[in-house]
Amino acid sequence: MAEPVRLTLATGADETAVDQTQDLLQTLWEQAPDVGDLDRIRLETAVAEVIGNIAKHTRRLDPPGSDSRRVHVTVWCSDEEVGAEFVDNGLPVAIDLSDVTMPDPDLDAESGRGLALALAAVDQLDYERLSGRNHWRLSCRRGGA
Amino acid sequence: MTDFDVRTDARGIGVVTPKGRLNMVSAKQLRTAVSELVDAGTTKVVVDLAETTFLDSSGLGALVAGLKSARQAGGDLRIARPTQQVVTVLGLTNMDKVLRPRESVDGAFDG
Repeated sequence: MAEPVRLTLATGADETAVDQTQDLLQTLWEQAPDVGDLDRIRLETAVAEVIGNIAKHTRRLDPPGSDSRRVHVTVWCSDEEVGAEFVDNGLPVAIDLSDVTMPDPDLDAESGRGLALALAAVDQLDYERLSGRNHWRLSCRRGGA
Repeated sequence: MTDFDVRTDARGIGVVTPKGRLNMVSAKQLRTAVSELVDAGTTKVVVDLAETTFLDSSGLGALVAGLKSARQAGGDLRIARPTQQVVTVLGLTNMDKVLRPRESVDGAFDG
């Protein structure tokens, strides 16, 4: 039984948060080398979409140069699951995850696959607006190769 | 930080090699690299994904945009040597039907 590992990051909710979050996951995998490739791939694929969505949309109505939007990222790994949580003080998310579907594979859709891909990659993806903050929680049961 | 190697081979085929993650930050660089090739008349482009450690939906969108612009100019864009994560993303999005992975860069335009 390996000890659970939990890592956190607090940063501005902008594009730089995407690579910072992926770097944090890289550190998690280094500290939890027994996590299989498929579990890593599933979580990182979904995590990149969620932090990308946060970076793109939480400050969409802010004046240019405003840096008041922050995101707190937690990633973890236990014997049972790998997961991530995001809490940001940005604008509410204007999307219902139960309505998200994957666009058809054609050349007219260059975008719109992000959250559908995240939902397809992990076992659990939830969004809640609580006390003026956006909360995202993702997890995958371990067991991939 | 993602680096991009861009070259044109002896047959006039453009080869773009992203090294690192293709996420919402670096996807813009891929769009630029492919559109510069196509605008310069190199309309057959291979994106060599052997050193692309990660692809997200923005990177996928950049590949689709590149494919569209190459075809509109009379050419095509093909992808070669994807890593396991890239294959997973192509499968989950069903985009492997549109961007069929090729085994080699040199053979990407054969057949």
